[in-house]
Amino acid sequence: MHKLGRGHRDKLQQFMTITGASEKVAHQTLKASDWNLEGAFDVFYSQPQVKNFTDSRHLEELFNRYKDPYSDMILVDGITLLCNDLQVDPQDIVTLVVSWHMKAATMCEFSKQEFLGGLQALGIDSLEKFRERIPFLRSELKDEQKFFEIYNFAFGWAKEKGQKSLALDTAIGMWQLLFAEKQWPLVDHWCQFLQARHNKAISRDTWSQLLEFARTVGPTLSDYDAEGAWPYLIDEFVEYLNENGIIENGQLNDLSHRR
Amino acid sequence: MSSQRKKNFQIEAFKHRVVVDPKYPEKTWKILEHAIHEIYNHNASGLSFEELYRNAYNMVLHKFGEKLYSGLVTTVTSHLSEISKSIEAAQGEVFLEELNRKWADHNKALQMIRDILMYMDRTFIPSTHKTPVHELGLNLWRDVVIHSSKTQTRLRDTLLELVYRERNGEVINRGLMRNVIKMLMDLGCSVYQEDFEQHFLEVSADFYRLESQQFIESCDCGDYLKKAERRLNEEMERVSHYLDTRSLDKITNVVEKEMIESHMHRLVHMENSGLVNMLVNDKYEDSGRMYNLFRRVPAGLSIVRDVMTSYIRDTGKQLVTDPERLRDPVDFVQRLLDLKDKYDQIISLAFGNDKTFQNALNSSFEYFINLNARSPEFISLFVDDKLRKGLRDVSEEDVEVVLDKVMMLFRYLQEKDVFEKYYKQHLAKRLLAGKTVSDDAERSLIVKLKTECGYQFTSKLEGMFTDMKTSQDTMHGFYASHGAELGDNPTLAVQVLTTGSWPTQPSATCNLPAEILGVCEKFRSYYLGTHTGRRLSWQTNMGTADLKATFGKGQKHELNVSTYQMCALMLFNNANRLSYKEIEQATEIPASDLKRCLQSLACVKGKNVLRKEPMSKEIAEDDAFFFNDKFTSKLYKVKIGTVVAQRESEPENQETRQRVEEDRKPQIEAAIVRIMKSRRTLDHNNIVAEVTKQLQARFLPNPVVIKKRIESLIEREFLERDKNDRKMYRYLA
Repeated sequence: MHKLGRGHRDKLQQFMTITGASEKVAHQTLKASDWNLEGAFDVFYSQPQVKNFTDSRHLEELFNRYKDPYSDMILVDGITLLCNDLQVDPQDIVTLVVSWHMKAATMCEFSKQEFLGGLQALGIDSLEKFRERIPFLRSELKDEQKFFEIYNFAFGWAKEKGQKSLALDTAIGMWQLLFAEKQWPLVDHWCQFLQARHNKAISRDTWSQLLEFARTVGPTLSDYDAEGAWPYLIDEFVEYLNENGIIENGQLNDLSHRR
Repeated sequence: MSSQRKKNFQIEAFKHRVVVDPKYPEKTWKILEHAIHEIYNHNASGLSFEELYRNAYNMVLHKFGEKLYSGLVTTVTSHLSEISKSIEAAQGEVFLEELNRKWADHNKALQMIRDILMYMDRTFIPSTHKTPVHELGLNLWRDVVIHSSKTQTRLRDTLLELVYRERNGEVINRGLMRNVIKMLMDLGCSVYQEDFEQHFLEVSADFYRLESQQFIESCDCGDYLKKAERRLNEEMERVSHYLDTRSLDKITNVVEKEMIESHMHRLVHMENSGLVNMLVNDKYEDSGRMYNLFRRVPAGLSIVRDVMTSYIRDTGKQLVTDPERLRDPVDFVQRLLDLKDKYDQIISLAFGNDKTFQNALNSSFEYFINLNARSPEFISLFVDDKLRKGLRDVSEEDVEVVLDKVMMLFRYLQEKDVFEKYYKQHLAKRLLAGKTVSDDAERSLIVKLKTECGYQFTSKLEGMFTDMKTSQDTMHGFYASHGAELGDNPTLAVQVLTTGSWPTQPSATCNLPAEILGVCEKFRSYYLGTHTGRRLSWQTNMGTADLKATFGKGQKHELNVSTYQMCALMLFNNANRLSYKEIEQATEIPASDLKRCLQSLACVKGKNVLRKEPMSKEIAEDDAFFFNDKFTSKLYKVKIGTVVAQRESEPENQETRQRVEEDRKPQIEAAIVRIMKSRRTLDHNNIVAEVTKQLQARFLPNPVVIKKRIESLIEREFLERDKNDRKMYRYLA
């Protein structure tokens, strides 16, 4: 920024005054439009609301409200408080979406950078704005592409730091949550199967391939291809379904009714 | 008259008038006609060839060739008509003879006539595109004599009748047949075929169809084949004697079709005499005959081969799944070898060493040997038995023969890595117990394995031999330098084993008796003195000991026991009675091994150097043991501890299997990485195929296991799935 020539500096000032954007945003926008002020205005106002001006001071305040007294992180208590303030259940899946926006490394904690960066990207600098955004965040789960990213993000986020695989219980919890949104009819059977037969952690490959499986193979498994290079766990799952009469003659039997 | 008149010389044709006698041609023809008559009447001797020739020549010259030719046709035709009648009139047997004779006459006559009319043959006939004289003669014979309505059928029927009679065993006039047939052939290929051959083939087909039907109802397979072979030879002989050689293939095809092809299946599968019966009873001649006959018909050999193959597979399958057989591994393998020998013999003696049969035999063996998962173990036990005692006093060449046979069975194994595991175990036991019959035989087998499977397969095995040799040298060195001070101590013989080469044994606790410990420690310090940086651990579960024992009445025996047994026995130097618990505490030998060791010391007749109370076969926790003063044996040296290789119990087998499966995982992974490194990206099915191909010399990898290994490699970030096609994998450098 210090290397800007006089002309550029003036434009920067003008831009910031008129649009109210931060210096960084102003600089980016002007640079993108080749330091043409008119062009820069076009770009700025045609962008979605997300890139709106956020007051960094407010964000700091927000962060401090929730942060742990002994470290520069928001930990479990802080998150509970935040959820309360947002009138959202801490178990609500929307917290996952928020974490995704923040690119949080692990569940149940946010670093300062993650918190600030995420909220800024969302254009949130107050609790009110945050509350208003909640429906939008929820709706993102309906978007195919975003769900895909969120789902895959969830693996890294939910697993223990330093572990390669995801503990089975956590995985099952996540799946219940995620597939409640996505409506995959076999999710319960899948979880039962894992508990009965597998009882070990879940690898990343299995995690991501499961989404593929849920997306592409129908619940009657009529288009399941045994040569389809699915992870062996999924092959075993199909066997399990066939053995236990859950899939019979291309029909999905809901065994819960039989009891 | 002027003297300058030009004189032109002209030469003019002879202008004298030739008086052409209008009766000339007629007169000349009459002469020739008369001559033809005479010729046909066997009166040719009175004729002058020169004159006749000149007459014919003049006729042609004076442009009366046409008359000459047509006259020839008429005359010959009329003569032939007479001849034809006389042939038709002939009765019975005479018919053919008459025909033959008249034919011979005709040929002679034709020759003379042709000579006389040679000029016409060479000039008039070519220019007018008429049939030459000789050919004309033949055609006329054919049309007038042979194709006369009565003669045509009669001739055919007579010939076929004669053939029929000959087939039924009568002797016929072959010379006459030959001449008549030759006549038909001379008259033209189509005459032979239409007038004789095609009917001959039809009738023959009917004949053999009928005969084969009769035979098959009344004969067994071997006899039927003999008959068929005889008929075939007969027909071949018939052709050579009096038929056109081109008929050979046609008639043999008829016989083959009617006698062999139509009844192929029935013959092969005939109960109590078909192929299976021949194989079981080593009927080389019969099966050889079947091979030679069936080879002639399409799909004939495949039937023979298929029946043989399925029979071998069934026999083999029974052998390898029969629980009785499986009790004795050495016998089991010997039976396999015997089976192979039997069929090698059959294929060589009866089936002409046919390669396709050899291949069928090999694939059958490969099929059923691998039906039994314990085949690799048993083959190793067989080898163990041979190398331990079976090959004693056997000549070098015979040893090679046996080892080659073993190698042949080895090649059939799909799970060669399982064999390797057992072979190592058994070899270790042989080497350590010093129980091998011939070092050369051992090494010879290693060389064969190396040739078959490569250096890696045998490098560890060779390491074992090296260790034995080195240990010997070490012992020499030990006693050379420490001999004096060790005088009174027990004599030690140590084999130092390199960990990687020998089969892994879990190390167990065992407290050695004090006397032994002392000398062992001396050895340890000696060894570590010369080899720094190494670690030695005593493998107490693999050792042996020779003990001198004195019993109640002063009888002395030398006992050859295992190390565990030695530890237990030495305790009785200081106590007369010991409970199981006490022995366990003192020796710290693991319970199952200790129980087995005490069992062999106390519960086996003839080897009970210990007495147990109670006298039961099983070892219980509160049993008590006594030194058996009353022990007797006829032999001075008593062998109690054996570390002989035996077929594994079920649980041991499971364990070994598991270890083999564990060993396979890194091999599969290495193969996957190798393949992916060179191909960069590859789809799932192709990876499985490539891995299988790479590893099949050692074992057949399970596709599910391959899939799991791929996932493990993805986990460890050696591979990743392609983002667009989930069936493709990509190598991550």
